Amino acid sequence: MLGRKRNKKYARPLLPAREWARVESYMVDDAGFGTDRFGTDADMLGMGYALGYWLHRHFFRVVSTGHDHVPKKGGGVVVGNHSGVLPFDAMMIATDVFRHTDPPRLMRYMVDYFVYRVPFLGVFFRSMGQMPGTRANFDGLIEEGHLIGIFPEGAEALGKTADKAYELYPFSPGHVELAARHGVPVIPFGLVGAEEQITMVANFEPLARLLRVPYFPITPTFPWLGPMGLLPKPVRYFITYGEPIHVDPAALTSMEAREREVARVRDAVLELLDEGQRTRKRYAEGKDE
Amino acid sequence: MSDEDKVKATPGRKKRRDTMRRAALVTQVDEGPEPGALREGRRRVLVAGAHRLVAVHLIEQLLADPNVEAVLAVTRGSCPPSLLGADPERFHFVSADLSKRRQVDNLFLLDRFRDKPFDTVVHLAFQGDPTGYTQRNHEFNVNSTKHMLEASLRHLVGKYIFLSSDAVYRIGARGDYKVREDAELNLDPTVHPILRDTIDAEFICRAKMDDLETEVMVLRPSGVFGGGVVSGINLLFESNPPMLPVGFDPMINPTTKEHLSRDLLLALNLHGKGVYNVAGRTVGPLSKFLEERGIVARRVPGPALKMLNRAQRLLGKTRYHAGFNPRRLYYSLVLDDARFEKIFRTHASRVAIVSENAP
Repeated sequence: MLGRKRNKKYARPLLPAREWARVESYMVDDAGFGTDRFGTDADMLGMGYALGYWLHRHFFRVVSTGHDHVPKKGGGVVVGNHSGVLPFDAMMIATDVFRHTDPPRLMRYMVDYFVYRVPFLGVFFRSMGQMPGTRANFDGLIEEGHLIGIFPEGAEALGKTADKAYELYPFSPGHVELAARHGVPVIPFGLVGAEEQITMVANFEPLARLLRVPYFPITPTFPWLGPMGLLPKPVRYFITYGEPIHVDPAALTSMEAREREVARVRDAVLELLDEGQRTRKRYAEGKDE
Repeated sequence: MSDEDKVKATPGRKKRRDTMRRAALVTQVDEGPEPGALREGRRRVLVAGAHRLVAVHLIEQLLADPNVEAVLAVTRGSCPPSLLGADPERFHFVSADLSKRRQVDNLFLLDRFRDKPFDTVVHLAFQGDPTGYTQRNHEFNVNSTKHMLEASLRHLVGKYIFLSSDAVYRIGARGDYKVREDAELNLDPTVHPILRDTIDAEFICRAKMDDLETEVMVLRPSGVFGGGVVSGINLLFESNPPMLPVGFDPMINPTTKEHLSRDLLLALNLHGKGVYNVAGRTVGPLSKFLEERGIVARRVPGPALKMLNRAQRLLGKTRYHAGFNPRRLYYSLVLDDARFEKIFRTHASRVAIVSENAP
C-alpha cells in the first residue's frame, strides 16, 4: 500500500494521463507483497516506465515500426542487436513494447549475472521484472506466457568499439533452442542509433577482468570525467520489428538445423538493421528538406 | 550385544525381510503404493530431536490425532515442558544420545515398542547452532542420521523422514526464480561445517531411497518463522536490530512452524518417498516480510556485515550467524514445492487431523 502511494507521488507527474492509465492497467500477479513470483514490483514498474517513457519520448525520440509483429498475448522471444556501452537499447525496446501493445506487455530480459552482484542494480532489475539468464527462469517465464527479450550477442556486444558499429557478434544458439522447445515464435528487431550514443574507443580488458564485468569502456569522456563521462548523446533511435520466425523443432535434435535456424534469425536482424539505417537516412533527408 | 547377535535374536523378522526383498527382486514389478495414498493402520511414531519447537508442535498434533497410537519423543536433554502433561498411554519420552549406535538400537527394543514396532521415524535431531561447532557436533549430526536410518531399515519401519534445510542449495547471482529439488547443491568445501553435515546426512538418506520396505523422505524446508525457532531467518528477525547488506533484497518464501508441522503430518501419513522442498505460500522480498512485522532493519555495507554481526552477537543482540550461509542475505532463494503440493497437500483431505484443522 505504501509502495502504491509512493508510485503515485513520484511516477504519476512524469506520465501523461493516457500512459498512466497503461501503468494502472498492467496487472502484476501478486504473490503476497505487491510483487509477482519473479520479483516484479508494481510500484517500481510505474517509476521505471515513467523514466523509460521520458527517455523514449524526449531524449532518444524513438521512431519505431512493425509493432504488429509483437504478439498481443502468449509467449515469444524478442531478439535483436545489442550495443551502446550502457543498455539503454534494452530499456527503449521494453518501453516501446509497453507503449505500443494493448493491453501493455512487459518485456522480460534474460540479464547477465554480473548485474545481480552489484548493489541496488540487481534489486532494480529484478523489480522491473528482469531475470538472470538461466534456463529455469526462461522456462518459468515462457510457461506463464511472457515476452522474453534476449540479446544473443551477449553482454560483450555492449562493449563494441566504434570501428565495429552495426557489426553483429556471433549469436549464441540458446534463444532458438528455447523457442523450439516451447513452440513460441522468435520476433526479430533491429535497433539503429545506440551505436552512436557513446563512442567507445577501446576496451580495457585487464581492468574488466579484475572488476568481473564484461568490458571496461574507454571513451573520449570516460573515465576522464568520471561517471558523467558515460552519459549518452541524445541520438534518435530507430526500432524495426520483423515478422515472427517459427523455429524448426528439428533445432532441438540436430546441430545442423540449430545452426541454420540461428543463421535465419541473425539474417533477419541484419536485414532489419539495414532497414532501420535506410529509415534513418530517409528521416534525416526529410528533416533536411 | 553385537549387531549379529541382535539379528539372531529376531530370526522371524530377518526371515520375513529377506523373503520380501527376494520376492521383490525376482518379480521386479512391485513398485510400491501410489504416492499420496493414505498409509494403512494406526501410526506409531518416533520423533527424534523432540526439543525443537517444530517437534513439540508436531507431537502435540500427533497426540491430537486418534489415528496415532503412540509417540516416542527422543532428545538428549529433558522432556520439553509443554509435553509433560501428555497422555502417558500414548506419549513416551526417552533421553538418548543418538550419535551412539547402541542407544539408538535400544530405542527400537523398548518393551513398549517391541511387539508393535514403530511404523514411522521422524528425524529432526540436528545440531544447527553455528557457534562453538566441534567434531562432536559433526559426529552427532552425521552419525545420528546414519544410526537412525539403519535402525529404521533393520526394523522395517514403514517411513523415515529426515528434516534437512534449504541451506543445502547453492545460491548466487546466477539464481533461478524458484529452486527445484534437482537444483545444484552447495558442495563448496569451504562452507560452514554444519552445511556439509546437512548434505552428508542427506546423502546418507538418498543412498537408501530405493529400499523396498522403508519409504525414505528428505524434506527441505525454507526458512521457518515462529517465536523461539532456531532457523536462520527467524534468528535474523529476532535480532535487535536485524542487519542487512546495503543494496540487496533477496526474494524468499519462508514457512512457519505450524505449516511445517502440518507438512510433516502429511508426509508421515501419506505414501511417498524422495526429496521434497516445503515452503510457505507467500513469495516476496525479505524487506517486505520485515515491514509486515513492523521490524526496522539496519542496512550496513556488505563487507562490514560479518564483523558487525559478530559484535552484535558478543553484545547479546542477536543469535543470527552471518557467516553461516553468507550469500543468503544477498541472493534470492525461493523454493519450488510443487512436487510436495501435488503428492501431499492436494491429498490433505485423506488425513483426518489435517483436514479437520484446515484453514
